[in-house]
This record gives sequence, structure tokens and C-alpha cells, in this order.
Amino acid sequence: MMSDQKFQEPFDPAREELIDTSAVFSGEESTGEKPTDEESGVDSAGRQTSIRVHVSLLDSLMTLAGELVLSRNQLLQTISSGGLKSAEAVGQRIDLITSELQEAIMLTRMQPIGNVFGKFPRIVRDLAAQLGKQIDLSIFGKEVELDKTIIEAIGDPLTHLVRNAVDHGIEPPELRRQREKPEVGSVVLRAFHEAGQVVIEIEDDGAGLDSEQLASLALRQGLVTAEQVQSMSDKEKMNLIFLPGFSSADTVTDVSGRGVGMDVVKSNFDKLGGQIDITSETGKGTAISIKLPLTLAIIPCQVILTEGERYAIPQVNLEELLRIPAHLVKERIEIVGSAEVVRLRGKLLPLVRLADALGVERTYTDPDDGSVKIDRRRRIADRRSKQSPLTTAPAAPEQDADQHAPPVRRESPDRRIATDSALNIVVVSAGPITYGLIVDRLEDSEEIVIKPLGRHLQQCQGYAGATIMGDGRIALILDVANLATMAHLSSVDGSDRATEVQQETESQIATAEDSRSVLIFRNSETEQFGIPLDQVERIEKIKRNDIEYLGAKRVMQYRDGSLHLICVDDIAQVQPLAERDDLLVIVFSFGTHSIGLLACGPIDTRDIAARADEETLRQPGIAGSTIIGGQTTLLVDINEMVGQLYPEWF
Amino acid sequence: MATASSTGSRQSIELATFAIGEALCGMDILQIQEINKIMQRTPVPQAPDYVLGVLNLRGKIVTIIDLAKKLGLGETDSTDNARNIIVNSFDGSAGFLVSRIGDVVEVALDKQEKPPANMRGIQGKYFSGVFKTDSLLIGMLDIDKVLHPDE
Repeated sequence: MMSDQKFQEPFDPAREELIDTSAVFSGEESTGEKPTDEESGVDSAGRQTSIRVHVSLLDSLMTLAGELVLSRNQLLQTISSGGLKSAEAVGQRIDLITSELQEAIMLTRMQPIGNVFGKFPRIVRDLAAQLGKQIDLSIFGKEVELDKTIIEAIGDPLTHLVRNAVDHGIEPPELRRQREKPEVGSVVLRAFHEAGQVVIEIEDDGAGLDSEQLASLALRQGLVTAEQVQSMSDKEKMNLIFLPGFSSADTVTDVSGRGVGMDVVKSNFDKLGGQIDITSETGKGTAISIKLPLTLAIIPCQVILTEGERYAIPQVNLEELLRIPAHLVKERIEIVGSAEVVRLRGKLLPLVRLADALGVERTYTDPDDGSVKIDRRRRIADRRSKQSPLTTAPAAPEQDADQHAPPVRRESPDRRIATDSALNIVVVSAGPITYGLIVDRLEDSEEIVIKPLGRHLQQCQGYAGATIMGDGRIALILDVANLATMAHLSSVDGSDRATEVQQETESQIATAEDSRSVLIFRNSETEQFGIPLDQVERIEKIKRNDIEYLGAKRVMQYRDGSLHLICVDDIAQVQPLAERDDLLVIVFSFGTHSIGLLACGPIDTRDIAARADEETLRQPGIAGSTIIGGQTTLLVDINEMVGQLYPEWF
Repeated sequence: MATASSTGSRQSIELATFAIGEALCGMDILQIQEINKIMQRTPVPQAPDYVLGVLNLRGKIVTIIDLAKKLGLGETDSTDNARNIIVNSFDGSAGFLVSRIGDVVEVALDKQEKPPANMRGIQGKYFSGVFKTDSLLIGMLDIDKVLHPDE
């Protein structure tokens, strides 16, 4: 391996360069970086059994090991002498050294992603030649480092994605010419750090994916039902490509479509704790982005508590923590169908109670006597009754509380005031699904070491592993994606979908009801009026003494002429114009004539439904009424007013 | 672990005996890593009912199985006499909770008899044979079968 690299890049100072374009198709940089394995550093499964570590790293490891030994001696001494104070100091020291040691050891496992990327130029070139396509592969970020196990594991799925891009993505040159694209297709492979993770992107400027076509293919292959397709968002349709068994049968060639589908790719990345996301525009190209953790062994986690047991949620899946105070629970938690959701910044977030998802019996602590009782509330916002038939009748402790909760109307007052009934929600995301996990208590965020669960627990889908906490007890690590499945949360119920549906219905309401903008103003201080905004020409600010009185008429100077002024109370039976110095004139024009309506502020514009109550408050000059901002608003009919005051204009 | 090869060459084996409910069972002592009484288990929701939880054994996560429940002999009470028998299985460690442990008995291999017909109940398949000593009848557990997850 070492010799191989030397051969390729002999002390090249430009090695630091980030951008490393390996011109491929016709390029001559042919050597794939796969080591030729003279020292047999590869085992039978093709994995590397030896790695290169920088001597300076090795030295620092050695130093740390030395310090660790010293600290151990100190600790032993302290224990025998029994001084608590100095024991603390030694403890701190060991703490420091262990974390440094841990970091250093992790570093030895880090490998540049170039080891994987290196073989792609050749693959792409060979494939392109075979398919008669012209493809330019650009590679960026070869030097990004990842844990050795991850590097080893991403090789195959990445190869698959690259082959896909070449085979399905990039069109043949003739077609590209027809579509007015450059004949040479481009595939870009990119790796970079983002938010403590490594992102790998594979981008092509090929044909792209058609979400509708994917949906109909999946439908034809019986993977989804027509109803499911109907309720799917665009992104979900795109994600159908990851379904097991999905095959774009139209385009099977001897290169791809050999049974190893995108589902395998996805599950490969899932296993690594990675997330894969696909975006595509028909005709423009496809971009696949993969987020991978830097290392598998140690991950930051949020520790939570449910029913007395601690669980860890990987920080990768964590979006935010939400606490709903007890008195707001009723308002914030809404029920859509049978699902409970919380509205979070305009998005509907489905909620899952961790205890229910895991099948643990929910309990609560009675605020009166502190005893722990079974919580049988079906809904989060339900009130708690003082009498709990299940706890007084211990004969049925195994019964599913949800099914046996009798629908009795409670007479006791609302008891949700107790502070401990505030809801703690961990907002988590897994792929397209974002949901809220209701837990009992939030604890610290900790760096934990993942340990696998034994094979008897492999069937438990809800866990990604276990970890040992500071006190020696074990906490289970939750697998957020599988929990969602267990809670029967398809992403159709998920936030994306819910928001989309909501937007659709809202826009439907909007078009059906034909909303319109109105200008809100006042005549007297207390009464609110509205007038359709599209009738308004402009609004002038004037002083009361700008008004000139000519006989019974009021006028003001406006654009080198006179503007007739009217008031709503000239015609309509409403309170007279407020005695204010600062007034507004709303100018309307009728053909060649203009008229000013005296009004006073504050003014505002609102979109309201066109349907207004045209009976209750109907009177001359007032077309009807509606409620805006909690106040009855009279809608002025300016045509009628002007028609009565200046009939000669029409 | 090493039973297959070692039993072949040995004339007799040592059995660690323990009680599951009322029944006396034994297993090759070489299959046992250790016996302890750490009862601080973390329950695992949704696990099979015979899995009592997981245990932190010096940094290793060990699944603890209620042997009585697995064999269909009721439930093991966590009394003072109860012990965890940690065994080495091929993919990590697992532990059995047993209600009491007994002596180590040396038995001759050729004394092994087939499990009696009336042991063929639900638990029968987990025994590879029966040893008769002067006063005791020991059911020899087939650890690999016991550890095999339910199909």
C-alpha cells in the first residue's frame, strides 16, 4: 500500500490540493489505489488486516500509555494511604488521560476516504467505454477521514451508486445532444465534513428520476397500493426506490439491475448509522447524499428515562427537545384521526409514546400520596381520574390499559396541573420521518460506547445496541427508525405528509372561498370598517385643517385640483368621524372622477374569505359584515355611497 | 466451546450441577466461564419472555436467560441462592439464571444414558442425556440448543 501511494504521488506538494480531478474516460491516471498487496495486508475476505499509522501518533500513544501507568501507581498509592482529596486529583488525571488516549486510538483507525474513491476512476472509465458513453468523473475531498470499519463497509454500496449513475443516470451521447446537454456527462463524487458527520455526495447530470414513474413501477410490482401512492409526497415517491424488491425493470442492463437493488445500498448505510437521501430533477440529474458518522464505536447520545429505565438516543437522530408545560398540554396536543400530533412551528409532528412503542406499561406517580400507579389514559391530553379501577383491582394487572379504559366521564377536577405531568418530547428524525418521542424525563447528553446485544435480542427491532453508563448499569440504545415502524408510523403519517396535506387543503379552501384582501380602517375610534383593497387607489395622510368646507361639501387640495371628501357616516348609520387631528384619506377613482373617504387609523390589510354576512348589518353604504381580528368589521360599499352622493357621476 | 474435541479424548467429564426449579441439571464445567450473583439486570422490553435482561459483566453486555422459563419449568425466583451461570457461546456471552447451584460431579462418559421417554416434553429436546450417580440423577443440558434463539 505504501509503495503504491509513493508510486502515484511522489512527494507531490500539490497533494494538499482539495480538488482532485481525475479525468477519467480518456484520462491516463489509471492506477486504482487498491494496494497490490505484497505484504499480504489483506485477509481472505478482502479486508485490510494492517493499517499505516503515523509515527508521531504512535509516539503520542506511547506517552499517554506511560502517563496512564504513572497515574495508576498514584492511584494505588492514594488508595493505600486513604486520602480522599488526593484521590480526587488522581481521578481527574486518569479521566483526562483516558479521554486523550481514546481520541488517539480513534485516530489510528481513521483512514482517508480516498482509499475507496480511488477505484472509481477505473470503474467509471471501463463502464463508460462498455456502454459507449462519455463521462467525466470528478472527485473532491479524498482526504476526508473515516473510521476503518466504515471505509471498508462503504465500498460496495458506493460502487453500486456510481455504477447506477453511469448506467442509468447519464444518457448516451446522442440523447444528450438532443437534450441540449454537453455530450460528456459528468459524475461528481464529493466528501466533506458537516456538523460532525461526513457527507458523501454522488451527483450526475443525467436523466434524473421521475417520481411518478417510480410510483407507477412500484405499483405495478405490487410493492405499494394505489391508495398509498395517492397519499404520498414527492419525496416519498422518490424513496420508493429504496423498497426491497423494487426494480426499474425497464432499464435492466448487464451492468446494473442484477438483483442488488437500492434497498441493499440503503440497508448497508443504515447498518453504519448513516442516512441516505436522494434528490432528483427529471432531465437535470440526480444527487444522492449520504451522511455517515465519523466513527462507529463512540457516539454522542441523549439519555432519556422512561418507566425507570434509561435509554440512549443517538445525537444523529436528534432534532430537538421539546417540553410542553402541563397547562398547555391540552392546547398543544391535537388529534388527527387516531394519531396524536403536536404543532411545532407550523408543522404537524406525530407523537409516539416510548413506553407504548416498547410495550412497557405506563405508570404515573400519584401527586397526592406519591404511589406509582398504572397510567391508563388513552390520550395524552386526557385527564387523570382519582380512582383507578386497575390499581384497586389488582387481578388484572396484565391487561392492556388502552383497551380496557372504560369511557367514563370523570367528575374530579382537571388534575393535569401537577408539574410532573408536563410532557417531555424528544423530536427525532430517521430518513423522511420526523416524529416526537414522549419520554418521562430527559437526562444528560453523553458520549457512549456502543456494545452489541446478544443474539437472543436480535429480534428486538427497537434497539441499536446497548451501552454501559457511568454507574455501571446498562442503557439500551434506541433505533429511531425501527421504533417508528413499530409504532406503525409510516412516513405517510409523518410530518412531511401531514404538512403537505394541510397545505393542500388550505390552498383548496383558499381557492374555493376566493379570499380577498381588504383594507381595514376606522371612522370613529371604536368601529372597524373594511373595504376591498383592489378598489383603493391610494391613501393620503392629512391634517384636519386641510379640509375645506364649500357649502355642504368637503374638499381638499389634491394633485393640483380639488378632491371631494366623504365620510362613512354621511350615508351609513354609524358613529361620526373621530375628532382627531391626524386623518387619512382613502382615494378611490370612478372613471374620470376621484373621491376621498375620510378615515382614521390604524389601518391594516388582511386576507379574508370573500363570503361575508350580507344580511345582519346590511344598510345603505354597508355591503355586509365579517369578523376580522376578533372584531365585527363593516364592509363599506363605496359604489353605493358615491352613487347616492354623486348620482350625476354614473 | 471446546466440548466436542475434549469429550472425545476424555474418559470422564466434570459436571457443574444446578437446580432448575426441582430438577437437577448439569453442564460441562468447561463450558462455564464463571458463576456470579450480580442481580442488577436491565430489563429489555419486547425481548422474548425468557430473557430477563442484560447484565454488565466487566464491560461486556451479557444476556441473562431464565433457564426454567426457557425449559418450560416455571419461573426462577431471584432468591439469595440464585446465581448467574455465564457461558461462552459462539457469539459472545450469555448467562443463565438458576435457582441454586450444586456440587461439581465427575461422571464417566460411558455412564451417559439417553434421556428417558417421559422427558420428551417441551424441555426434552434441550437435554442430551442423563447421568446417574449414586444418589442423583443429572440431566445433561445441551447448551447449544438452549442458546439457540427460538425459531
